[in-house]
Amino acid sequence: MQRTYLHAMPVRVWHWVNAASFFVLIVTGAQIRYREAFDLMSFRSAVDLHNLFGFVLLGNFLVWAIYYLATGRLKVYIPDPNLKNFVIGTLKQARYYGYGIFVGEPNPHHASPDHKFNPMQQVAYFNIMLLFLPLQIVSGILMWDIKRFAMIIGMAGGIKVIDAVHVFLTLFFTAFLFVHIYLATLGHPWTAHLKAMFTGYEDEPGDAPTH
Amino acid sequence: MFSYFGGRTVGKGTYWNLSSGERFDVNENAALPGAPGERYVKLPAGSVFICGPLAGFAFALVIPFLFLFITIMLLPRTVHASNSAAPGDEAQACLNCHATPGMTMTFKDMTSMDLHVDESHFRNTVHGFLTCTGCHSDVSLDTHPQAQYANKQQFLLHLAGACRTCHADGQIMANPLHQRAITRANAPPCSECHGSHAIRNVPARKEKLSSTQYCLTCHQQHLSTSINGESVSLTVSEEGLRGSVHSRHGCTDCHTSYTKTAHPTPEFSSARELAITASEACKRCHLDKAIQHNGSIHKAMLVQGNTKAPVCSDCHGAHRVGPHALAETLSGVPCKKCHQDIFAAYEGSVHGIARKDGKGQAPICSTCHFAHGVQPAMASRSPKDLCMTCHAQVAAKHEQWLPNTLAHFDAVACTACHVPAGFKRNIYLRVTDGSSGLMLSDTVMRALLGTGKAAVAGGKKITPDQLWSLYRNMNNGHTVAMTGMVNLNNQQNAHHLAPKMLAVRQCDYCHSANSAFFQSVSMAVAKPDGTEKLYTVDSAALGSVFAMLPLNQFYVIGGTRLRIMDYLGAAMILGGIAVPVVHGTFRVLTARLRRQRQRHSEGG
Repeated sequence: MQRTYLHAMPVRVWHWVNAASFFVLIVTGAQIRYREAFDLMSFRSAVDLHNLFGFVLLGNFLVWAIYYLATGRLKVYIPDPNLKNFVIGTLKQARYYGYGIFVGEPNPHHASPDHKFNPMQQVAYFNIMLLFLPLQIVSGILMWDIKRFAMIIGMAGGIKVIDAVHVFLTLFFTAFLFVHIYLATLGHPWTAHLKAMFTGYEDEPGDAPTH
Repeated sequence: MFSYFGGRTVGKGTYWNLSSGERFDVNENAALPGAPGERYVKLPAGSVFICGPLAGFAFALVIPFLFLFITIMLLPRTVHASNSAAPGDEAQACLNCHATPGMTMTFKDMTSMDLHVDESHFRNTVHGFLTCTGCHSDVSLDTHPQAQYANKQQFLLHLAGACRTCHADGQIMANPLHQRAITRANAPPCSECHGSHAIRNVPARKEKLSSTQYCLTCHQQHLSTSINGESVSLTVSEEGLRGSVHSRHGCTDCHTSYTKTAHPTPEFSSARELAITASEACKRCHLDKAIQHNGSIHKAMLVQGNTKAPVCSDCHGAHRVGPHALAETLSGVPCKKCHQDIFAAYEGSVHGIARKDGKGQAPICSTCHFAHGVQPAMASRSPKDLCMTCHAQVAAKHEQWLPNTLAHFDAVACTACHVPAGFKRNIYLRVTDGSSGLMLSDTVMRALLGTGKAAVAGGKKITPDQLWSLYRNMNNGHTVAMTGMVNLNNQQNAHHLAPKMLAVRQCDYCHSANSAFFQSVSMAVAKPDGTEKLYTVDSAALGSVFAMLPLNQFYVIGGTRLRIMDYLGAAMILGGIAVPVVHGTFRVLTARLRRQRQRHSEGG
């Protein structure tokens, strides 16, 4: 069994702050949007918490961006520029998730600090971290002060469009969260990936979800 | 030669004193009595028999001339006084009672009339030579009318008949005012203008009176006219006039076509038309106010033919124009004459109560609605600019607790929160012209819609897809925007403004899909008079994907969310859950297979 230092301290801190923020933002967002459905807290408290953790998420995102840019490890998110390798890698990984994993085939991807994600993860997290999350943060900021950003909102098609984007991304993140947590259980043993996200060390090559 | 003087010694004879007529017989030389200035004539006693007839004859010759002289001197009075055989006695008999102040007569309608007559006043009038029965011909010492008249008017009309016994119709009708007045069914009695006992000689008084006093000669009497059967009072209270802000003005300052010598008699179709026309006079001095009024809802109503719309005199009065400050008091504000319900609501509002408590700076009707340029209440617009003229710091205060304060100010009318929650709310979708920013007129909207106007024509609720269709059709070659506004369902309720502790402060009132505030929705365009034309919209439009673009500036988080996103969200999250459930299930089901393969590989 090989021990690999997969998740550096800044990444682990960022991950759990991000997780907590996501949790609070999803719950408070749902409370804001579905006020009539449940009553965990007042609308006003939900708005205040949502705003607060929205900025926590923004700050945390900046921490992530600075860390990955400064260390040059951002490349772990970038899919293989060689299209052939990328397609083959993706198909292999898809075959593993859809068939190999059930019959006990080994994971075609072996995680290392410089090669953390398999091609499917790269596609997913590249979009999540560099497109969806920034879009979510920006749409959230626009709705945080709609008068200040009225011009941008108008150019984007109006507050309803911004809200639709924000909610759609939330739904995507929420749905993805179930997949993300499930994937975290695919280690050997099933808690291996989870432990790695606390200790930084991955004991066995596996299907680390990393995020 | 026949003259002798007192003190002189004369001879025998009979001497006559011409001053006293006394006779002195002298038998021998003696002195005549009296002073030297007393003249005596010497004539024998028998000469009396000759001189007497001669003197009588001469007097008979003079008598016709005396009669002629007396006739010439007394003729005018004699003609008029034909019935005054014994004026002194008869009048005195009447005055025995009627000179008593406080004497009254009660009519059948239980009204009373003062019967006191001041003789000195009467004697100084043009009829001063007449005696009582000269006019009151049905009254004598034997017959005295009892209270047989229904009312004072009937009695005075009866007496007016007496005037016409002397003043012939030709004389009366020469005056166009008389012509107009007398031919009416409810013609006023002569005494209304001329008085009863102190009859005025109008022409004689004209020169002495000011123009105002001249007008008041008639118009301070109980004077009225009839326009198409509608009685219109023409009475002007001098006291009211003098107490008004126009006390230094004369009648002709406003009634410019009237002078002492000219009294036009214009025709009006109704009393209201008279009032509206008369109010035109005000603009001669108050042009600024007239211009403001021209832009008001009241003027617009008038132009549209609603003659009930107020003109100057309806608020300020015609002759008793009060001071400006009076119209801004709870008791003197004129608006409540027409808007009683609204004023009652105002009196119970935070502003009305403040006024009652003596806070003079608290707003009253004209503070928000303006006194002359009264603007229509716009349900689709917040009155915030008006509110903020007094509550200047209101934005800063709201920012202390209300996120996105200014966005709220744009979409929620002040009245939507500051009137207690019990009053219904409504969402107004204000249709504005993209270039001017002004509310689109109903006419323009229908023109833009062309054949697509069916959605607004039927009077039914506009469905979400129809709203989208309307928006698209209106934007065909034109730029039209829709902005939303939460406001009260009935603008009259805006006057129930409550103290701020009773204002709607809970976010949930709006930010909930079940909010009662979003149950009724209207689309607002402008009518020609500047008021709003409202079309009912299906409230489902607020959360419809069809409203994404039309209502892209009106969004209440939670309240008007896109319903389709709810279904999409449910599908996405179920999809997310399905991955671990399905994949995990397969993992469980294939666990034995993996163990077998592992044993096989370990064994191999």
